[in-house]
Amino acid sequence: MFPKQEVVAMLLAGGQGSRLGVLTKKLAKPAVPFGGKYRIIDFPLSNCVNSGIEAVGILTQYQPLILNEYIGNGQPWDLDGMHSGVNCLSPYQAVDGADWYSGTANAIYQNINYIERYDPEYVVILSGDHIYKMDYNKMLEFHKDKNAACTIAVIDVPLEEASRFGILNTYENGEIYEFDEKPEHPKSTNASMGIYIFSWKELKKYLTEDDAKEASSHDFGKDVLPAMLNAGERMFAYPFEGYWKDVGTIDSLWEANMDLLDPNVTLDLKDIYSRNPMMPPHYVSSEANIQNSLVADGCNVYGNLEFSILFAGVTIGKNATVNSSIIMPGAVIEDGAVVQYAIVAENTVIGKNAVVGEKPENAEDKDNWGITVIGANTTIADNTVVKANQMIDSETEVTGNEK
Amino acid sequence: MRSNNVLGFVFAGTLDDKIPELSASRTTASIPVGGKYRLIDFVLSNMSNSGINNVGIVAKSNFLSLMDHVGSGSAYDLSKRRSNLTILPPYGGKTFSNYVETIYNMHGYIENSREEYVLITPGNIVTNFDYSTVFDFHSKNDADITLVYKKWVVPSGYEHPVTIDADKNGKVEQIFIKPDTGCEEVNHFCGTVLIKKSLLMEEIRNALSLNQLDIKRILQNAVGRLKVYAYENKGYCAAISSINDYFEFNMDLMKKEVRDELFNPKRPIYTKVRDDAPSKYGLTSSVKNSIIAQGCVIDGEVENCVLSKGVYVGEGAKISNCIVMQDTKIGCNTNLNYIIIDKDVTIKDDRSLMGFDSYPIYIAKKSVV
Repeated sequence: MFPKQEVVAMLLAGGQGSRLGVLTKKLAKPAVPFGGKYRIIDFPLSNCVNSGIEAVGILTQYQPLILNEYIGNGQPWDLDGMHSGVNCLSPYQAVDGADWYSGTANAIYQNINYIERYDPEYVVILSGDHIYKMDYNKMLEFHKDKNAACTIAVIDVPLEEASRFGILNTYENGEIYEFDEKPEHPKSTNASMGIYIFSWKELKKYLTEDDAKEASSHDFGKDVLPAMLNAGERMFAYPFEGYWKDVGTIDSLWEANMDLLDPNVTLDLKDIYSRNPMMPPHYVSSEANIQNSLVADGCNVYGNLEFSILFAGVTIGKNATVNSSIIMPGAVIEDGAVVQYAIVAENTVIGKNAVVGEKPENAEDKDNWGITVIGANTTIADNTVVKANQMIDSETEVTGNEK
Repeated sequence: MRSNNVLGFVFAGTLDDKIPELSASRTTASIPVGGKYRLIDFVLSNMSNSGINNVGIVAKSNFLSLMDHVGSGSAYDLSKRRSNLTILPPYGGKTFSNYVETIYNMHGYIENSREEYVLITPGNIVTNFDYSTVFDFHSKNDADITLVYKKWVVPSGYEHPVTIDADKNGKVEQIFIKPDTGCEEVNHFCGTVLIKKSLLMEEIRNALSLNQLDIKRILQNAVGRLKVYAYENKGYCAAISSINDYFEFNMDLMKKEVRDELFNPKRPIYTKVRDDAPSKYGLTSSVKNSIIAQGCVIDGEVENCVLSKGVYVGEGAKISNCIVMQDTKIGCNTNLNYIIIDKDVTIKDDRSLMGFDSYPIYIAKKSVV
């Protein structure tokens, strides 16, 4: 018997995140390293804990090994309670067969048992690919005040960008009357943040109905939410103010990391918890120059570093230059190498005097400029040049100037 | 593991009186070092990495920070069904005025543990050392007592150092107490001993019946009567016995070979973790030859320094040859040289403070300058 929990959070972490390319080849998107020592999932998980949510189910499907290992018993987030805490919920086999999670709603539907153990009043649905700090309690208060069946967090986006988002059109009191998925001519600038609070009774009913519909794609945005709206349920938009970024693409992942270095951005890392690597403090040598960067434990910096983020255990060799780049755990930038506007994944080695990435102003083909990405466990041989907007696969070796 | 038949027994308060500044608010073993560690992290990590699963820490006084730091021992993997960490404070009105009485008063704890051997060590030793090599050496020689020594010039805080003469097989021929060593390298015994529990308690009881309260004399008397062997710790080692030792050890961390050996990734040094963000270097920062822990914000110039977790260095500050403990704030346009700054200190803007290589100045916890 489990003690009752008023709120259970369900974190959707099963997506591949194919737009992140080689970065998600061997790991699920929520496990992608972020901000020098975190993984993306640390943000929603820390938000849960800081909001007093004690039961969190993480729905995993795509490449779950690293994510499962990282979450472990949930201790870094205080989610290792005796009768609550964090659980990774993967698809499973049952008497009547086995199914992959066919959509976001189906993933929750298949875990109704998990939710019911806690007998909750409300369920918070979160996704594992956003960087933000939010007190879900305030949103829950709003949900209760409005006596809503469903509350969706929204953020005000610039009108010219609104057509990239799911837009919610509301009455003055915040009640939603229309969903507009990526509208050509947006009527409002309330973009859905992918954070939902449902009253559990209603959600369970609509999930069960949705499962019976053959034609449904079993997705919250496409199926369940419209069905609730059509049925006349009370649905409200909860306006959120603060930093929020979807890091589903290489560019947005890079930008969100760089935002940490921008004094004008309101995101701070206080009260975001993570697993800590057991490494000594970092060392900065006499030859090193570091400006406007984040550096984690275990790094050894002998070269030049500007506008960059070093994860734990990174080495920057003598006379190497790293500019506007993200260097993930254990990577080595050897002497004299130049890394600019790039993301270098875990344990990759950039050889001596190699050049990776280009500054936008120096690129030959300015229209096709982009962030260069080097996959994990890859070796870029000495003197090799990797141009802008290239993506090098993980576990490969690149020699010569072929790229 | 080979050493899981060994009980670890750590004296946390060794040389408390020799480092009065740093141990004013804490016991020696919980003095912060190397940016994110406390001295005891080295001994406990070595024990855990050597397969010693049961560790008792004798805490004589001032042990609040020690208890807070080691907690249940889970950071060192010493809080499992088959591993355990216990803090042993004085009890029943007894005082822990010397090793002999302390060990005697702890006989219940020592005798009740399931291990057959005990490894006694002080908490002020910084090294990355595999104790199972001592155990193997002890077993191979069928020794009664094995003393671990370091060949070096005795650190300045040891007033009554114990030195060892041993033959080529490591068999101890003589033990000297307080010899005139000067600046020579000697085989210095810093307090790490491996012995069978039953023999230890027998020796301690005999000594007490003779009113012999000096453990050094007991060891000296054992030579010849028992099989006493000496094992050399050939790796990097520091024994913090004075504020100068403390300063030198922190500065040693700037050497790559010292860091590589001490922080060997195959035998990690564990510590209580704090959720600090990576350190942030501002546009006006300039950091040279320094050790920086996480959670720092650096806008000034830092050279030859060790900065602990959460230190702030303001714009225009110039700090060199300083050891700065956690959460200290150093204001703008300050100028600091050879200063050891304890936790939670505030150095206000425009202050200047100068120590010297051989005489670093100490600023106490929570001071405001």
